[in-house]
Amino acid sequence: MKRATILGILLIAAAGLAAAEPAAVLIKNATLYPVTGPAVPGGDILIENGKITAIGKGLQAPAGAEVMDATGLSVYPGFIDGFTHFGLAEIGAIPSTVDYLETGKENPELKVAWAINPASIHFGTGRVTGTTAALVTPAGGTFPGMSALVKMDGWTFPEMQVKEIATGLINFPMTPRPPKEGAAVQQESKADVTSKLVDKIKDYLKEARRYLEVKNLSAKDPKVAAPAPNPKYEALAPVLNGTLPVIISVEKAKDIELAIKFVKDEKLKAIFRGCAQGFQVAGKIKQAGIPVIIDSLYTGPSEPEDGYDAPFRNVVELARAGVMLCFSTGDDPAQGKDLPHHAAKAVAFGLDREEAIKALTINAARIFGVDGRLGSLEPGKDADLFLATGDPLDFKTEVKVMFINGRKIDMANWWEDLYKKWKARPIK
Amino acid sequence: MNKRSITGILAGLFVIAGAVSAGAADKPLLLKNGNILTISGGTIQGGDILIRDGKIAAVGQSLALPAGAETIDLQGQWVMPGIIDSHSHIAAEGDLNEMGDLMTPEVDIKDVLNPEDINIWYALTGGVTSVHTMHGSANPIGGRGIVLKLRWGVKSEELIFAGAPLTVKWALGENPKRSNMQGPGPAHYPQSRMGVEASIRNEFELARDYMRRWDEYNNKTKELGPAKKPGAVLPFPPRKDFRLEVVADILRGKYLIRCHAYQAEEMLSIMRLCREYGVKLVCFEHGLEGYRITNELVANGVANSTFVDFWAYKWEALQTMPHSAALMAKRGVLVALSSDNAERMRRLFNDAAKTVRFGGLSELEALKTITINPAKILGIDKWVGTIEAGKDADLAVFNRHPLDPFTVCEKTLVDGKVYFDRAKVLDDRKKAEDEKKKKETEAKKPKEKSNGGEV
Repeated sequence: MKRATILGILLIAAAGLAAAEPAAVLIKNATLYPVTGPAVPGGDILIENGKITAIGKGLQAPAGAEVMDATGLSVYPGFIDGFTHFGLAEIGAIPSTVDYLETGKENPELKVAWAINPASIHFGTGRVTGTTAALVTPAGGTFPGMSALVKMDGWTFPEMQVKEIATGLINFPMTPRPPKEGAAVQQESKADVTSKLVDKIKDYLKEARRYLEVKNLSAKDPKVAAPAPNPKYEALAPVLNGTLPVIISVEKAKDIELAIKFVKDEKLKAIFRGCAQGFQVAGKIKQAGIPVIIDSLYTGPSEPEDGYDAPFRNVVELARAGVMLCFSTGDDPAQGKDLPHHAAKAVAFGLDREEAIKALTINAARIFGVDGRLGSLEPGKDADLFLATGDPLDFKTEVKVMFINGRKIDMANWWEDLYKKWKARPIK
Repeated sequence: MNKRSITGILAGLFVIAGAVSAGAADKPLLLKNGNILTISGGTIQGGDILIRDGKIAAVGQSLALPAGAETIDLQGQWVMPGIIDSHSHIAAEGDLNEMGDLMTPEVDIKDVLNPEDINIWYALTGGVTSVHTMHGSANPIGGRGIVLKLRWGVKSEELIFAGAPLTVKWALGENPKRSNMQGPGPAHYPQSRMGVEASIRNEFELARDYMRRWDEYNNKTKELGPAKKPGAVLPFPPRKDFRLEVVADILRGKYLIRCHAYQAEEMLSIMRLCREYGVKLVCFEHGLEGYRITNELVANGVANSTFVDFWAYKWEALQTMPHSAALMAKRGVLVALSSDNAERMRRLFNDAAKTVRFGGLSELEALKTITINPAKILGIDKWVGTIEAGKDADLAVFNRHPLDPFTVCEKTLVDGKVYFDRAKVLDDRKKAEDEKKKKETEAKKPKEKSNGGEV
């Protein structure tokens, strides 16, 4: 009965879909931040059929267009959260509401596209600071499955999807911190457990390549027997031929170096995620041309020796080395609203503010190969944008209006509904 | 009696500690040219703070530099009272839940303090100067907590905030029910909120009975007097029960009660129970549904030590919103933002800024939730929580306004002593890196050939 109540309540908190959709909207007199070009004070932006069709000053509203005066407001392209479980988890402690974690080590055939719940309450609360798209990922094991890139709004998953399969995923092995100093540690570091675990991953990929090769041969040559179907190896095909990017979660400097070699050996199109000690090998990551998804900065240093400010300094050093970056809110969709606050923290410790905005928008779009559609205010791009009262990196800023696919989003959500109800209780 | 003897011992220890860790406290220290967020008396632009013997001696503009004083020029940086975290679990050994029994007020965090916990240092880097380190929430009446000053590098007893009242942790809801614990195990009572409340009520009755038996014994021995009649039979004393001793002291009002709770109705129930037994409840911990019962919290004088936006991690943490803290504060509830977590502790000033956006607290009220409000809840507001002459020189210095999104903590002082200085951290880091580079280039150099017969 308890579970039934939970579901009932969660379903009520539906996505913020607008009822009416005028064919065109003209936003007037705003300060526009296109990201790929200079800011436009007193600018206008025209939205038609879900796309941005014009940007400039003194634009004329087409017949039937809704005209919105945005004096005093700032317009930014919607933020993109680079790694989340949106739609796959409601309440961490209740297993029946958690859907991103499968048992077993190798599950590359799993697709989050099969499980995302568009009515999750966290889409609504996650949007309040300007996020309009997110990479949704599975977790667990060495090959957790395939991520999807979704808009933060839609009646069904197909209506939300930007990419049904956005990336593959590999959780890279992590070198453990030696439990004690001294001779035993020396021996352990010689043993190099991590490289052995990497070899296991390489063996698995080798098996997959062989399977795909034999299958390919059998299709051409009837004398070659087709292998028994293996959906896991099938799923890895686009990763192995380098057409689908694969996110490699890796933390320690030593492991990052191993991962760079691994990517090179296997000829993968890789994106790193995490890289908590990336600052120690930033030049090497840059040289390898691998972008990095920064994990939630609500964390301490990977090792105490890295210094108290390592999580923030890491972002600064990676950016200084020229590594392409984006931000993410990580494992807890309930903390999704804090995406710009992670970026702000990096700015506090030295990241250029414009770079931070790029990481939240165009660079995230580039990393996921959707910069033709998302990440900036430009004619021809999806009308995913928001109108804010100030700097969207500021805690105090409020996002007043949001568009996703040109639809005006109802900013009501779980929190706002509660606030509206309970602030009405009379004071005695 | 219990409490007095502990504070007595602590006072003794502090004399020793003061002598060891004073250092800078010998000389007066003048912090010059800062923007001082006093909390109690407005903001002083370009102001100075004079520190003497670990206390704030004066606050104002253009203070005179006393002879022999050291000076720190703040160059327009922002100074606020050191941040106080009224709900934390740092600086202690272990997981801080005594799971072995239902009621465990006999255990005391004071016994497991760990002054080497790196989280003390991390907390200082976020401007935190005092924390309330608590027992966990597995028990309806759990262990006793302690208020600490983050004097990084001292012995455990020197961490203790002298004079701070002692606290006891209670817990309601899912944790004492152990709702979220997986796997097989012996049946556990309580399994329901009814059981949690009944177990507390039962413990109160046991303690009342215990107190009655001791009163009877004490009265009887008093009647017999010092010169007792020959042949008179001395009564046997009741068996000493360290658990009920603490519960009795709870009933006598000797502890500040900190009650972990989430749901509005369980908070209302426990407030009724406390009224019935004459127990003063000081503060709800987390209290994520506190915004629903602001009238009742105000009427009972119960504070809330809460999160701004940590939510939805379990069922009882769902019915909330980031506006809760602000709404409660605006309606007269004493609200503190606390961390419960070593990482969140480093960014409580960011959490405070969120109360401005969600629920519209003023910047001053937002800052109060991490300074004077937790100080009041902990009963240490006469020493800390605002910048005023006579108070402890526990201060946090930020490069921008502490509610600015890009602010960084630059310095943290406890008792007038600088325990964290970002400039020094960066300087030390640079020196270490230069040293490392030097060693590397030396190692790369080809070794000079021996020049003949010289040794």
